[in-house]
Amino acid sequence: MNNEYEVILCIVNTGFSEVVMETVRECGASGGTVINARGTARKEAEKIFNIVIHPEKEIVLVLIPKEIKESVLHSLYKAVGLNTPGQGIAFALPVDDVVGLTPINQKNEGK
Amino acid sequence: MGIKNKEESNNETKLFKKKNRPSNKKDNPQTSLKAPNKLKLLFTIVDRSKAEFYIDYLENFEINLQTVIYGRGTAPRNIDYLSIAEQNKAVIISVINDKNTKDIINGLEEKFLKVKHGKGVAYTIPISSMIGVLIYQYLSNNQEYRKESI
Repeated sequence: MNNEYEVILCIVNTGFSEVVMETVRECGASGGTVINARGTARKEAEKIFNIVIHPEKEIVLVLIPKEIKESVLHSLYKAVGLNTPGQGIAFALPVDDVVGLTPINQKNEGK
Repeated sequence: MGIKNKEESNNETKLFKKKNRPSNKKDNPQTSLKAPNKLKLLFTIVDRSKAEFYIDYLENFEINLQTVIYGRGTAPRNIDYLSIAEQNKAVIISVINDKNTKDIINGLEEKFLKVKHGKGVAYTIPISSMIGVLIYQYLSNNQEYRKESI
């Protein structure tokens, strides 16, 4: 109904979803959903950039108000960016209609 | 009153029959000039035990494709005073018609509040592009277009 919210998708190596949630919570969001996933990457790219890509990934979905999007993405980049062991990618998608957020969540998000 | 109603229903059936007559086999310009409906992705995150219930509920809204992914919630434990909330969650991804969005969202909101252990979150994301006419027809449940194209 209104464009006040965005959903952040953060793809990290397994085990780092808690770091993601801690980071997001510090910025004011309250809860998220974690999905197990498997990443794929070009084998040559791994050799060229001399990095190891763990195929086991976790995707964290977090609904956040638009105002804190920048700060959330920035702190996610610092906490679980590609240069960290978490090797995370985070991006936000605009969300049109949102229902089901409890008043507790909304209070926390407003802070 | 009863007689009047009967007459009306008779008229209606006549009209209905007229409309359904296969007299105009050519495309009706009014239907073929309709702008295509926009599609959206609906994400519904609910307790795993209630996933089946919400899938069945969403199927009432002309939804042809739904996918369920199992995930887990990360709400802080201190909110959950009685620790009754399930940590295992289901993410239902459905492709919905934009014109149904309001009905679906309002219906879901009501269910979130009224159904026992049915609390959840739902949001929609617009689909910006898609390829394949048949796929589009399938996802938008657009049977008119399908009939015409055969």
